[in-house]
Amino acid sequence: MPSLGLFLSQLFNGLALGTLLALVASGLTIIFGTLGLVNFAHGALFAVGAYAGYVTYNLTHSFVLALAVGAVVTGLLGLLLEWGLIRRYYARPPEDQILVTFGIGIVIVESLRLGFGGLTKNVPQPSWGNGILNLHYFFYPTYRLEVLGIAGLALFGLYLLIYWTRLGLIVRAGIEDPLMVRMLGIRVPRVMTLVFGIGALAAGFAGVVYAPIISASPDMGNRVLVQSFVVVVIGGLGSFPGAVVGGIIAGEILSLTSMFDPAYSDVALYALMALVLFVLPRGLLGTEGRV
Amino acid sequence: MSAGKRALLPEAAMLTVLIALPWLAPLLHLPTDVLTRSLIWGLFGLGFDILFGFTGLLSFGQAAFYGTGGFVCGWLLTSHTLSSVPLALVIGTVTAGVYGLIVGYVSLRRVGIYFAMITLAFGEMSFFLENSPLAKWTGGENGLPGVPTPTLHLFGHVVHVKSGWAMYTFIAAIFFVGYLIARRIVASPYGVVLRAIKSNPRRAPAVGHDVQRYKLSAFVLASLYAGLAGGLLGVFQGYMPPDAFFLSTSGQLVLSTVIGGRGTLIGPLIGAFTWIELRNALQQVPHLGAAWKLIFGAIFVLIVTLFRRGIAGEIGAWLERLRRSRAPAPAPQAFEHARAAAHVPHQPEAAQPARRRPGAAVLEVRNLAKRYGGFVALADLTFEVREGELLAIIGPNGAGKSTLLNVLAGDLEASAGQILFRGSDITREGAIEVCHRGISKTYQINQLFADFSVRENVEIGLLAHRRGRFRVDCFRSFGTDRSLRASAEAILGKVGLLPFAEHPTAEMSYGEKRRLEIAIALASEPKLLFMDEPLAGMSPVERAEAVQLIARLAAERTVVLVEHDMDAVFRLADRIIVMQNGVKLAEGAPDEIQRNEEVQQAYLGGVEAHEPA
Amino acid sequence: MSLLEARGVNCYYGDSHVLFDIDFDIEQNEVVALLGRNGAGKTTLLNSIMGVVPPRSGSIAFSGDPIHGRDPHEIARRDIQLVPETRRIFSTLSVEENLRLAALTAPKPLEIDWIYEVFPRLKERRRSRGGNLSGGEQQMLAVARALIRDPKLLMLDEPFEGLAPVIVRDLSRVIRDLVRAERTIIIVEQNVRAALQFAHRVYVLNNGHMVYRGTPQELLADAELTSAYLGAAV
Repeated sequence: MPSLGLFLSQLFNGLALGTLLALVASGLTIIFGTLGLVNFAHGALFAVGAYAGYVTYNLTHSFVLALAVGAVVTGLLGLLLEWGLIRRYYARPPEDQILVTFGIGIVIVESLRLGFGGLTKNVPQPSWGNGILNLHYFFYPTYRLEVLGIAGLALFGLYLLIYWTRLGLIVRAGIEDPLMVRMLGIRVPRVMTLVFGIGALAAGFAGVVYAPIISASPDMGNRVLVQSFVVVVIGGLGSFPGAVVGGIIAGEILSLTSMFDPAYSDVALYALMALVLFVLPRGLLGTEGRV
Repeated sequence: MSAGKRALLPEAAMLTVLIALPWLAPLLHLPTDVLTRSLIWGLFGLGFDILFGFTGLLSFGQAAFYGTGGFVCGWLLTSHTLSSVPLALVIGTVTAGVYGLIVGYVSLRRVGIYFAMITLAFGEMSFFLENSPLAKWTGGENGLPGVPTPTLHLFGHVVHVKSGWAMYTFIAAIFFVGYLIARRIVASPYGVVLRAIKSNPRRAPAVGHDVQRYKLSAFVLASLYAGLAGGLLGVFQGYMPPDAFFLSTSGQLVLSTVIGGRGTLIGPLIGAFTWIELRNALQQVPHLGAAWKLIFGAIFVLIVTLFRRGIAGEIGAWLERLRRSRAPAPAPQAFEHARAAAHVPHQPEAAQPARRRPGAAVLEVRNLAKRYGGFVALADLTFEVREGELLAIIGPNGAGKSTLLNVLAGDLEASAGQILFRGSDITREGAIEVCHRGISKTYQINQLFADFSVRENVEIGLLAHRRGRFRVDCFRSFGTDRSLRASAEAILGKVGLLPFAEHPTAEMSYGEKRRLEIAIALASEPKLLFMDEPLAGMSPVERAEAVQLIARLAAERTVVLVEHDMDAVFRLADRIIVMQNGVKLAEGAPDEIQRNEEVQQAYLGGVEAHEPA
Repeated sequence: MSLLEARGVNCYYGDSHVLFDIDFDIEQNEVVALLGRNGAGKTTLLNSIMGVVPPRSGSIAFSGDPIHGRDPHEIARRDIQLVPETRRIFSTLSVEENLRLAALTAPKPLEIDWIYEVFPRLKERRRSRGGNLSGGEQQMLAVARALIRDPKLLMLDEPFEGLAPVIVRDLSRVIRDLVRAERTIIIVEQNVRAALQFAHRVYVLNNGHMVYRGTPQELLADAELTSAYLGAAV
């Protein structure tokens, strides 16, 4: 039986991982909700953020700057990709949309490999992240707690964006009825580009935040991609609350099962996905239509 | 060359190439291993192409079965449980197939994007299973070294297959057999149904095919091919690597198939050869060793964007265009003549079937309701349809007429109430069962099998009618069934489309497509035919012809017609039901309905006083 | 010069030819009723003006400028608004959010408080989700949403469909006020009497062809015409 300390420690790990997954999955889900497209390059964008952050940190030794640059660079890349290539695919069948984003993901990852080499790059924690906190029942790395805070803040920022800004209003309406949004005078293609950029930005931001924990490597995004797919299937494609709830659940499952047998933690996550598919095909908070 | 012989060209060509390669390869500086490895991937891809290229199911998790087949076979051999390589291969293949059945059953609960994501997740899950919990058997991240080469007992001789050309021959032989089987499968009625499912996943079940079972069987087929290829990988390398389970393996398969050409069967082989040779060549160049993946990925994006059919597909299309341009072109006037002549067979007024006397009730609808959350689309509908009659259902927009037809035809589930067809309760039955009972529907918006010819569209429906909901008749040949062709032509004759039997659907005019829409429904030999706004979008001339056709169809069966064209309705209908807001407003003979005040109100106005503006 | 002028408009849904050589005009401050049976093409004509279904041939001009083939958002920015038959309110947004969204790109939107005066029911429900409104309230919201943009041309597609008599009365009052305020309106209706209350002129469509144009009085007087095209004697 695991001790209380271990349990709490893993609980926090689950929250940290969960908020990160929620952040990545949120980007994925609003891209799907607004553009109707599942972005198979999302994991690659996560890696781009990490590398951009790595380069910035090496140049400036400021983690905050690394965060900002990492997120922005990834966001800009997202804008460019949507505007340059992906928007030509909206009329194509969904399989083709998957294929093109999958291909883009490969090109991005292999470019990173060519540019930075295949070995993992260590991204140091920020100086304010060093150390260990005594949380009475257990000791916990400071940075991990900060990850929870940072990712949580980012999620909150996304929430504000979606529910309290004009862009968010357009996005929420556009998820439901893009034609009606056009009939109200709004240029939807521009909004779509922006949404893809925001989704990419979220993934890139998460990449920088997480890089000190898992180190930067070209393939670091693969696992996150699959896990975020599981999160959106559980939470419901197109639902931001679903991505958050699903992300936390997924993070906790991965963390808590690893207390018992780390070998099975990923398997447990996929088993949950299979269960949700059987019982609630639309996910926990999914909306009608779309798929 | 006769059509029969021409059909075997690909097999003959494949055999020739496979036999010639050992002599050609040294001239082209192709190492044996590159060829052998390509063939293994080609075998892997045969099954995947059937799944993706032909059935349209994009799976990102095929590595799960590749790895399963490979590790089961590898373990059996390296643990000395078995010494016969062929037997271990078979067991590995079968295990992969069983795993495929399980994964397929869960994954196929969803379609399209969800399906791709779920198979991706299962692929990864399999990797994790291999890497950790099952590491005792699989060697974890080290894999299984020491997989023996096969020793075959052929015609009394003992053949030890070593590496190099002997291994090539062994694997090429297996690939060729796999290729022959795959060719038979796609040319069979089973294969046609798979393609029909890809072409129109909505209509395929409506004409009576059990789509879920076909998809699952295709998935299992793909996993069998994958398992065999995985086993061969271990035998070929003498070592079973964990990267067989990697996501990148599933990804490579997708890339190879798309670049080589989906739906061609040889696409995966060509695509795999391309990247294997590319990797091989680039490894000689300093600094560019790992760049082959980037180049291959970039080519992939290029092909998906610009050359959708892939290498083999584009070449095939180009050859087809060449063949068409060489064949004597039918004079354009001839086509138009045929079009002008291809009308619904005309019958003089006198020969029109006399007004039928409707018989007993063939369909009874009792208290039928359909709700979408809070919205009530159909409320407490009760009526009957009598044998042999033509019943028209009319009503203003939003009345629920199309919803009603969809519920009756099994496309939608009723929220409450009962539907009885000849006394049997069919309320809970879906479109597939309803179709096999003898109920068919024509759609308001054409639901055709766009990738097929006119005749094939009808034959797809006939296949379900004759073979039942599901049959794996992979070894029959679709093109040679003469009675099927004759039946299809008879139906086409009824709707006046016989001259266009061999034409692609895309070349048909709107009116002709509407007639094909009806022909497809007729393929199921329905005793009860639902028609959802058959006259929608037709010109006055087309309308007149269509009305004649419907009258003739109604003479041979019971018809329920939803229409807005009042002239047509009053000319055709024996009885009329008027609906409004999901409720039955009135029911009776046409002249009764015309005089009915409530009906007039429904169509013309609900505002009481005429207040001054 | 008419405010809106359509000439020789042909529309298709895929291969299906649904509008045949339609000529149609509306003057400033005029109210025109577009009548006809189901499937006659009335909604399609409104959709072609709104840019949802671009005409395959023919022209549509607004204040002299050609607008056929333009994207709906450009048409909306020319101050043309369509209240669709299915209303299409955003069910996950509140009433107020629906209105605010509509006002976003309008050059001079009406005050939201004024809208609430015209539609007091919506004011009561301003924070409710669109999906939780009754049918009548949704119809009011759909009209309010179009109105807040202060459109030069307002198109109403079957505004009275499926509404309870009480709501029909309320909505009629709103529309009457709009007519009195000399707004330019095209109203499509199957409810002939309701439409003819407001209309200065009438067009009738049948099977995609324009078969009649005239005044309401002329139409009502011609019993044969009304029975042939509208289903029965009015």
